[in-house]
Amino acid sequence: MKIWIVLLVALVAAVIVAACAGHDWASPADLVRAVSGDQAMRSRLLFEWRMPRVLAAALVGALLGLGGAMFQGVFRNPLAEPYLLGSAGGAGLGAAIALLVPLGAPQSIMLPLLAFVGAWGSTVVVIAVSRVAGAVDTAGMLLAGVAVAALLTALRSFLILALSDETMNLQVVLSWILGGVQTPTWGGLGLLALVSLACLGLTMLFARGLDVLGLGEAMASTFGVNVKRFIGLAVLAGSVVVAAAVAFGGLVAFVGLASPHIARWLIGSRHKPLLPASALIGAIVVTLADAIARSALPPAEIPLGLVTAIAGAPFFIVLLARRLRA
Amino acid sequence: MTLIATESLVVKRGGATLLDNLTLSLGPTGSVAVIGPNGAGKSTLLRTLAGIELPTSGRVCIGGQDLTSLSGAARAQAVGYVPQHFAPHWDLSVSELVRLGAERTGQIDHDMIDKALADYELEALQHRRWSTLSGGERARTLLAMVLSVDPPVLLADEPAASLDIRHRLDVVRALAERGRDRLSVVVMHDLDLALRFFERVILLDRGRVEVDCSASDLAADQNLDRVFGVTFERYKTLFGPALHAR
Repeated sequence: MKIWIVLLVALVAAVIVAACAGHDWASPADLVRAVSGDQAMRSRLLFEWRMPRVLAAALVGALLGLGGAMFQGVFRNPLAEPYLLGSAGGAGLGAAIALLVPLGAPQSIMLPLLAFVGAWGSTVVVIAVSRVAGAVDTAGMLLAGVAVAALLTALRSFLILALSDETMNLQVVLSWILGGVQTPTWGGLGLLALVSLACLGLTMLFARGLDVLGLGEAMASTFGVNVKRFIGLAVLAGSVVVAAAVAFGGLVAFVGLASPHIARWLIGSRHKPLLPASALIGAIVVTLADAIARSALPPAEIPLGLVTAIAGAPFFIVLLARRLRA
Repeated sequence: MTLIATESLVVKRGGATLLDNLTLSLGPTGSVAVIGPNGAGKSTLLRTLAGIELPTSGRVCIGGQDLTSLSGAARAQAVGYVPQHFAPHWDLSVSELVRLGAERTGQIDHDMIDKALADYELEALQHRRWSTLSGGERARTLLAMVLSVDPPVLLADEPAASLDIRHRLDVVRALAERGRDRLSVVVMHDLDLALRFFERVILLDRGRVEVDCSASDLAADQNLDRVFGVTFERYKTLFGPALHAR
């Protein structure tokens, strides 16, 4: 119980700090004024731009934490990353199409939509490829993911080279691929919050099955789990979560890897508490990383994905080293 | 009376025939050891009886029902399976592991969990994590998990092979004694322990039943030498027959 209070307090603190941070630093008093309907330009900027952005970052982080816990649970590998199954490659291709191909619909709709379709679709393709190749086990799926990701990245690079010109330039696509939370309207934020809640509900359905799967496939089978079906469904559900995160937050690396780890240190390995805890930790991490991205090099903004990669890659290397030594 | 019956069971994987037209009938009580040389199909038989492997042809019936027609929860309640190597991927505590075992029927019964912890003397260890347990403690935890729901059938794939002699005796004895009022089928590599503790011994070779008889009859059976490819010296000891490969 205590740990949940600590996590919630940490999240609220992170959100307040992030809302203050920016190339124009605000005080908590400024925030209160902005929320209470002050019509001054500065208050309105804070309310219309910074606050939705901060909350969107928190929700994207929560989705990444949730997706990471889900994927590590399904693959029973604490080093599994949601992007391993091609969802990053697919989302990148979808985003490149949305940004470069005139599709006759507003980009604010097409970008998240195509990123979502790309992320989810590529995971479905990866599962299908591993099925056809007769390798539905973990290693088979991960290798199929590597192959599909390479193909999708090549397609994306070709699209960028073939279609970018002065008006639709490389930089737009590149900055999206490097990851960054779009500033949503309050309505868009409400949608993101609903999607996040639905994703939490969806993944919680898998909590007990993930625990049992962690005992090994033979044990899980004799404990009444239809292992192949469960893994297929859980991967699809996990990739829905990751696709939602990618659609709203671009490609943000390592959060999905690190959050479940920190959650496991804090509350143990049973998935019923692990999934929401990992979501909370992901939210805290991305909120803070996004604050750094916005405020470290004013007036420019560092892509969020670079911030998380700079912090996350050493984390990954330490984990890998510890695991190999054990 | 028959609890488990297999009818012309064939299991083929990658061109190899692991079980070859195997027909077997097991009663509702009794301790049964399955022995045989490496590759005889012992583990495959156990995994097929547990429903982990699906037969290529033929079927497994439990209580008169085809195993594949049972729901996951019904199968989990009916059959307890102890694998040869158990290595949980997450470092859960003893009580969490036993709880996962007890919950597999779909109900949460705290008395069941407490009883399983008490039966296997795990109360003092219940908050310890798996990685900190000794081999003997792990074996007890595994049995508590699997047997917490008191399944009518226990299928164990030689879970004691890597334990020291005292713990191995404890585990094998516990598995065999369960055969007094339940069905206990155990794959055994140690022939002496198989002959000493089990009522019935099934000798497998190349996916077929070579000999299926009482332990005392098996000890004298010359097929044993042929199947294992050695010549056995036979001894009589206080605990019954013993074998020594020459």
